[in-house]
Amino acid sequence: MRDAPTLSISDLTLSFRNWSGVSQVLHGIDLDIHKGERVGLVGESGSGKSVIARIILGTLHDVKGAQIGGDVRLGGRDMAGMSKSERGELRGTELSMIFQDPTTALNPVYTIGMQFLEVLRRGDSGMSAEDGKVRSAEILGEVSITDVDRVLESYPFQLSGGMNQRVMIAMALVNEPQLLLADEPGTALDVTVQAQTLELMRNLVEQHGTSVLFISHNLGVVREFADRIYVIYKGRIVERGPTASIFADPRHPYTKALMAAIPRLTGGGVPDIAEESESFFDPMITHGEAPE
Amino acid sequence: MKSIVSAVAKRLATTAIVLFGVSILIFLIARIIPGDPARIALGPRATVEQVERMRETLHLNDSIFVQYGYFVGDFLRGDLGISLYTNRPVMTDIAQFLPATLELVLLAGFFMVSIGLPLGAIAARYRGGWADHTIRIITLLTVSAPAFVWAVILVLLFSYYTPLFPIAGRIHETISIAPVTRFMLIDTLIAGRLDGFLSALHHLILPAFALSLSGIGQAARLTRSNMVEVYTQPYIEMAQSYGFSERRIASKFAFKPSLIPSLTIIGLDFAALLGNAFLVENIFAWPGISRYGVGVILQKDLNAIVGTVMIISATFLIANIVVDLLVAVINPRIRYAEQSD
Ligand SMILES: Nc1ncnc2c1ncn2[C@@H]1O[C@H](COP(=O)(O)OP(=O)(O)OP(=O)(O)O)[C@@H](O)[C@H]1O
Ligand SMILES: [Mg+2]
Repeated sequence: MRDAPTLSISDLTLSFRNWSGVSQVLHGIDLDIHKGERVGLVGESGSGKSVIARIILGTLHDVKGAQIGGDVRLGGRDMAGMSKSERGELRGTELSMIFQDPTTALNPVYTIGMQFLEVLRRGDSGMSAEDGKVRSAEILGEVSITDVDRVLESYPFQLSGGMNQRVMIAMALVNEPQLLLADEPGTALDVTVQAQTLELMRNLVEQHGTSVLFISHNLGVVREFADRIYVIYKGRIVERGPTASIFADPRHPYTKALMAAIPRLTGGGVPDIAEESESFFDPMITHGEAPE
Repeated sequence: MKSIVSAVAKRLATTAIVLFGVSILIFLIARIIPGDPARIALGPRATVEQVERMRETLHLNDSIFVQYGYFVGDFLRGDLGISLYTNRPVMTDIAQFLPATLELVLLAGFFMVSIGLPLGAIAARYRGGWADHTIRIITLLTVSAPAFVWAVILVLLFSYYTPLFPIAGRIHETISIAPVTRFMLIDTLIAGRLDGFLSALHHLILPAFALSLSGIGQAARLTRSNMVEVYTQPYIEMAQSYGFSERRIASKFAFKPSLIPSLTIIGLDFAALLGNAFLVENIFAWPGISRYGVGVILQKDLNAIVGTVMIISATFLIANIVVDLLVAVINPRIRYAEQSD
């Protein structure tokens, strides 16, 4: 159990049942994240990236009509065997998540300080307001926020998007989670601000030894951030391997099409590949692990 | 803090201007109602000379501008004239009747907020479930009938068929309490009469509840729909991702933001209670300002009509200021609006 990966997913399936029938969204996903590893998950819109994050988080289990199959283990513990409240226990303590738009993800009617205190109390329910402030100030310092007092007393609408993004990163890491899920973090921000905050986030998770599942549209950003990459297409992993190796030698037809489309882009997002090809459903390709 | 003081000062200034407008309007309207006030006051047997003398003392023979001038002069000295209906200064009448109405309206407002908001929040928290459906049906029912219909129904059900509550009055007739504030709940406590307090509360509950029912429904429905909308916001998903309990998410993270869009409307509903109090007071024989208002209008008691309308408008406007202050307390964007730009 000591060497159990932070996250281990095998043969994960997901379908949604509604009045019009059943639609399968995930078709047997295998994905592992080891301690301190930063893993990127890349794919076009609707390919199933966010639902994977929500399954790991344990929030999709409660959605009506969602049928989840396969095996998800967090630090060796099987999620399927957990009750709703046991899953809830993990969130905010061992697992945390960073969202796309920091400004709308923070509650508009509470100050940053109050929101920090709430999050801190997830980890330590007896935390006093003073201790909370000290701890928040500490972690805000780690994301290079200097006027900590002002930020803690501010409401999200009083801060810039970049500042809120730093706050959200700090909040996600303040309880020292094992695994951080980042679903297209900062896509709502402008490119330079996004790059700066991702740099901060990268340093922080490196220092804290936090494992990260980094979901992104932006191949360029993933390349900067992730040690390893999974490419997902329509609910299937089509190619996986170390970042350098995949970028140097994309072998799956879908990955190739993705990479080939990058130069045409200005923003660096995942291109819409107009022509669909049967070959995109080719079997998964696994690159050998890079020698340490 | 400074911005709040200046905001209140601004609002008070507007209130004064609005009241000035109201005074002109009601002054004119009161004089358009057919009938000679002096004749009505003195009765059919008075002589023409007596009526003429009264018209003279009331300045009724002067032009309307001159009459308004007299009115403003007196008003600024705190004098609203003599009521021909009660033969007392209008100010004295208002001091007697207004507290009864305010007591009724304040309790109704309290019911509206303390029952309506939680009901709405519960419906939103269990949206789509049976609690939600039940609350929605009940609140639809309460908003679909006006307060006086509820008053009649409640009196029939809880005073007449099952005599749980008294039918009329403010306090049991054997209890006499010295008027200090003329708020019965307060005066009984000042007099140290717990039995009186309970009796006053007992008399107050049914009319206040009748008055508040549609407001409760309105507040609940508004809160529900806003809070359901809040539940789709990213910050709720964020709260869920931090593993807060559903209960905590509802009461802390979703409820407060949901109040912001509804509070102003609930505030207006609260002020509207003042208008609805009018029929409810008549049904419960509640000695309030609304019942007094009806009496003086029927008597064409000019001074009393103008005085009553002015005081009700002032109460309405002040209630609005209080609501706006509450909105500012809850909504940080409004609180900081003045500083940031
Ligand atoms: N609650 C739900 N009910 C039904 N279908 C759903 C639900 N949530 C997601 N889906 C479907 O699952 C598929 C994957 O959605 P998901 O949000 O994971 O995509 P994504 O890869 O994150 O896309 P994007 O890049 O646009 O965020 C989509 O086809 C979506 O329509
Ligand atoms: Mg997504």
